[in-house]
Amino acid sequence: MSTQVFEGKTAVSKATEAAKDQRSFVETLQRTGDVVFVDKEVHWDLELGAISRRLTEMDGPAVVFRNITDYPGQSIFVNPISTWRRAAVTLGLPPHVRIPEIYAEYIRRDANPIPPVLVKDAACRDVIVRVKDVDVCNLATPMIHDGDGGRYLGTWCIVVSKDPDTGWVNWGTYRFMIHNTQYLAGWPFPPSHCGKMLQEKYVPQNKPMPIAIVMGADQSSHLAATSTTRIGRDEASLAGGLADRPIEIARCLDSDLTFPACAEVVLEGEILPDQIAHEGPYGEYPGYRSGEMGAGILMKVNTICHRKDPMLSMDCTGFKDCSSVVTALGGGVGIQRVLERAGVPVTGVYVPSEGAVHLCIVGVSKGGREVTEKVLHALTGRRTYMTKILVVDDDVDIFNLSEVIHAWATRCHSERGIIIKHVEGSAQALTPCYSQEERARRAGASAAFDVTFPPEWDRWETPVRATFDKMFPEDVKKKVLDNWKSYGL
Amino acid sequence: MEYLAHVRHMNDMQEGKTLVLTIRDLNPGKHKYTARVARVQVSRTPEALAHWDKLWILSVVGLKDPQPWGMKIVEELGVTVPGKPYSDIYEVLAKL
Repeated sequence: MSTQVFEGKTAVSKATEAAKDQRSFVETLQRTGDVVFVDKEVHWDLELGAISRRLTEMDGPAVVFRNITDYPGQSIFVNPISTWRRAAVTLGLPPHVRIPEIYAEYIRRDANPIPPVLVKDAACRDVIVRVKDVDVCNLATPMIHDGDGGRYLGTWCIVVSKDPDTGWVNWGTYRFMIHNTQYLAGWPFPPSHCGKMLQEKYVPQNKPMPIAIVMGADQSSHLAATSTTRIGRDEASLAGGLADRPIEIARCLDSDLTFPACAEVVLEGEILPDQIAHEGPYGEYPGYRSGEMGAGILMKVNTICHRKDPMLSMDCTGFKDCSSVVTALGGGVGIQRVLERAGVPVTGVYVPSEGAVHLCIVGVSKGGREVTEKVLHALTGRRTYMTKILVVDDDVDIFNLSEVIHAWATRCHSERGIIIKHVEGSAQALTPCYSQEERARRAGASAAFDVTFPPEWDRWETPVRATFDKMFPEDVKKKVLDNWKSYGL
Repeated sequence: MEYLAHVRHMNDMQEGKTLVLTIRDLNPGKHKYTARVARVQVSRTPEALAHWDKLWILSVVGLKDPQPWGMKIVEELGVTVPGKPYSDIYEVLAKL
């Protein structure tokens, strides 16, 4: 590696414009010390995945592999947003800002979508491979983990599909692996937007569903694709909002699907309504390879477009991967919206990456069992990702896990404070604690913990935290803080 | 030739049994891990292990049986199989 800056520099001191494409994002990360380049030859068969996984677990930098066995001229950009520093840089913020500031900026930009601009040219049209010449094995695609079902091409990708009735174009991030030279097997979670569209709008008519898989776009577009948003919301406009400028989009060659024009690689094809292939297993964002029953979908690839020397993108999935960070961000904001609509007095939501999109912390201005039940029901609808939900009083900093654990351990009544809801058909099959039989039925449960003092308690009798912040008068605290150094501390 | 296949239950593999599997080619190079579907006979007799293709079996969570099987391809069944999206591939293969 040419650099070893795991702590990261802080060269960027104020908000800047979000990078316009993947290559300029890499340049920005180079300035902040959040990327390394590997020029030594690395094999795509496990070696690249092992390096990337170890870096992820070290909270290390993103990495660009520039010398991949069998694939001269191609490179892979790994783990674009698997740290909060890189999430900040994606939004054009300084890398060292605190998580709440990243959330606040995301919320501000999310609320101000900017429609995309349709352009004729796309960066990926340097090389166009059609139909009989298609061989997906010509793209540098790593075998990421030993034991996976195959080589996963789609990990940090934008999967584009379209609702044939409404015309809504959906951008999502779903996994896809190489099945054979012209086929990819994928697993969009069945209740996902893409999964529902396929099952409700195409399969009943026995129609193939046009699809495009996009790699190496600008990170605002990738971030938008991973967001938890409502059906019908235009992710390209969300990407524009996140970037603070319009995203340029281009049309596919074989369909009217649209994708970020700056993308490095685009695969166009169709999901077949009557053919399948073996998909998975795969080491996923919960941090396990959990055997999700091999029930995927099949894409026939008809066209591959890519830049002359394409830089593919990859999320080295597993514990603390990009998925868990970006879902913590976009998902957390999405959950807050859902709770607001449900009438919950929510003050903030945090989905810590350590919880692998299974743990959600909800701050409320008024708690109690009734509010906790309302939160639980709101978060167990079409899909149930969160299996542990902590509802905490707003005097607890939801971004401070130490405070949250303290509150959980002390305020949650072990008998009255835990509410469990069973779900059928909407549980996440990747959740490791579910049995194989539960996975097949997508059955599971979510537990909500009421980590609030009952609102009916007399405030004069409600326990007070024995902390510096809560136990001393303001003038004493100020004096102590002003004189801190003079105490020799 | 060497292949690998994932199975739902490790005890689906039994001496002399013929079954349908998705087999992945382990030959080095760009096409390593590409898949096709085949009806195969499996055996761990010394004869089969010496003269048939080698097959590594992995569990539904990707754990590899350290002992390989000998595998003889009885019938090639193509690259994809009929089925609706999200069908259980193991059940579909078992019916072929």
